[in-house]
Amino acid sequence: MGTAISLDVADDLPSETLHELAEDTFGWLREVDARFSTYRDDSEVCRVDRGELRAADASADLRAVLAACADLWTATDGFFDAYATGRLDPSGYVKGWAAQVASDRLVAAGAPNHCVNAGGDVRVRGHDADGEPWRIGVRHPWDAAATCLVLTGTDIAVATSGVYERGHHVLDPRRGVPATGLRSVTVVGPDLGVADAYATAAVAMGAPGLAWLDRLPSPWQHAVVTEEAHLHHSRTLPTLPPS
Amino acid sequence: MRRALLAITGLAAGTTALVVLKGAPGAGQATPDVPAALAPVVPGGSAAPEPPSPTGSAPGVTPSPRASAKPTPKPSADRSAASRGGTRTRTTPAAPRTTTSAPKATTRTVTGPSVTYEYGSLQVRITLSGSRIVDATGIGLPLGGQSGQRSDDVQARYSGTSGEVVARQSANLSTVSGATYTSTAYKQSLQAALDKA
Repeated sequence: MGTAISLDVADDLPSETLHELAEDTFGWLREVDARFSTYRDDSEVCRVDRGELRAADASADLRAVLAACADLWTATDGFFDAYATGRLDPSGYVKGWAAQVASDRLVAAGAPNHCVNAGGDVRVRGHDADGEPWRIGVRHPWDAAATCLVLTGTDIAVATSGVYERGHHVLDPRRGVPATGLRSVTVVGPDLGVADAYATAAVAMGAPGLAWLDRLPSPWQHAVVTEEAHLHHSRTLPTLPPS
Repeated sequence: MRRALLAITGLAAGTTALVVLKGAPGAGQATPDVPAALAPVVPGGSAAPEPPSPTGSAPGVTPSPRASAKPTPKPSADRSAASRGGTRTRTTPAAPRTTTSAPKATTRTVTGPSVTYEYGSLQVRITLSGSRIVDATGIGLPLGGQSGQRSDDVQARYSGTSGEVVARQSANLSTVSGATYTSTAYKQSLQAALDKA
């Protein structure tokens, strides 16, 4: 993935246990990288893409990911497309999904208070070390060193997709050209993989993505920054006042 | 007990990448070691949305001591200042607030120059508490005609939060969500600064 992963475990556990939990978490994410990376010729995803491995014979994880991508393709009117680039690339779902699974595993392992950040996709649970709800800044789309919004919660997934990073774009899969209109889309909900896919789909839709996001059922919420530098967000978005 | 841990997966560079932090290109008004969200917002230029620039200069609210707009203090005239800035009661846990000598922050509003853009002309009014922005409002939004229609549509759907000009915001952050696709971008990110802290 070439992605930075940050893990903050706030549970009052022995140092040894914390390091074990961290090792398990990063071990899982490295495993995901080895199996799902589109940059590794020997990854399972690349083998399926080249037809060397039938999807039906792939690992349970890959089959689950492919099934989720198919569902998301339907749910987003085709704008989330694991084949948008002409080859199999489920990265738009995998990054968030992997972090979500990591978070689920931490809960199961007895660490219900943590914050996992996989390349900007965030899953928080419980409280921080001070017993406060986690506070998740949303990057200012024109300034890497600033935030434009601060969200707070004790059990939320926050995924942001955007086109502010140099050289990066999101393809409109229907036209095959880079999408325009929305600079940054943040989706908040219960599942990080789905949130990531929704955010990517909305960017791919362009301006109509605003209306699409607005029709998502509760508890999904969103914040959008347009190319004109306007911020729109759900009325119920759990934002903190500026400080 | 608390542990903040991080690693970079799928990168040969490994954790050495984490040592390098600043050298932020473009709008690098943040001082090293201080997450930019905590620093006073003092970029220069006009206070209105500009066409997005690939150089990284940020549109939106850009107040500056040298800004062309003369500050026009309107104490307590802004409803937002009263409701958002003045009566905020959120507790911030980590930072001990025992600075007795700090002067009490006063709230004031500053209105920027009128700027012509794609859908008409626009002014931005910001509310400051001390040197921090606590509210930003676009005023003079276009009325009538096609662009007016557009604004109405948005207003109807997002009443209460419509058309907020993107503003920088400060807070005591746990983490940062952003479209960070590369390790290079990570190194320049606020998240990297938080991980380092």
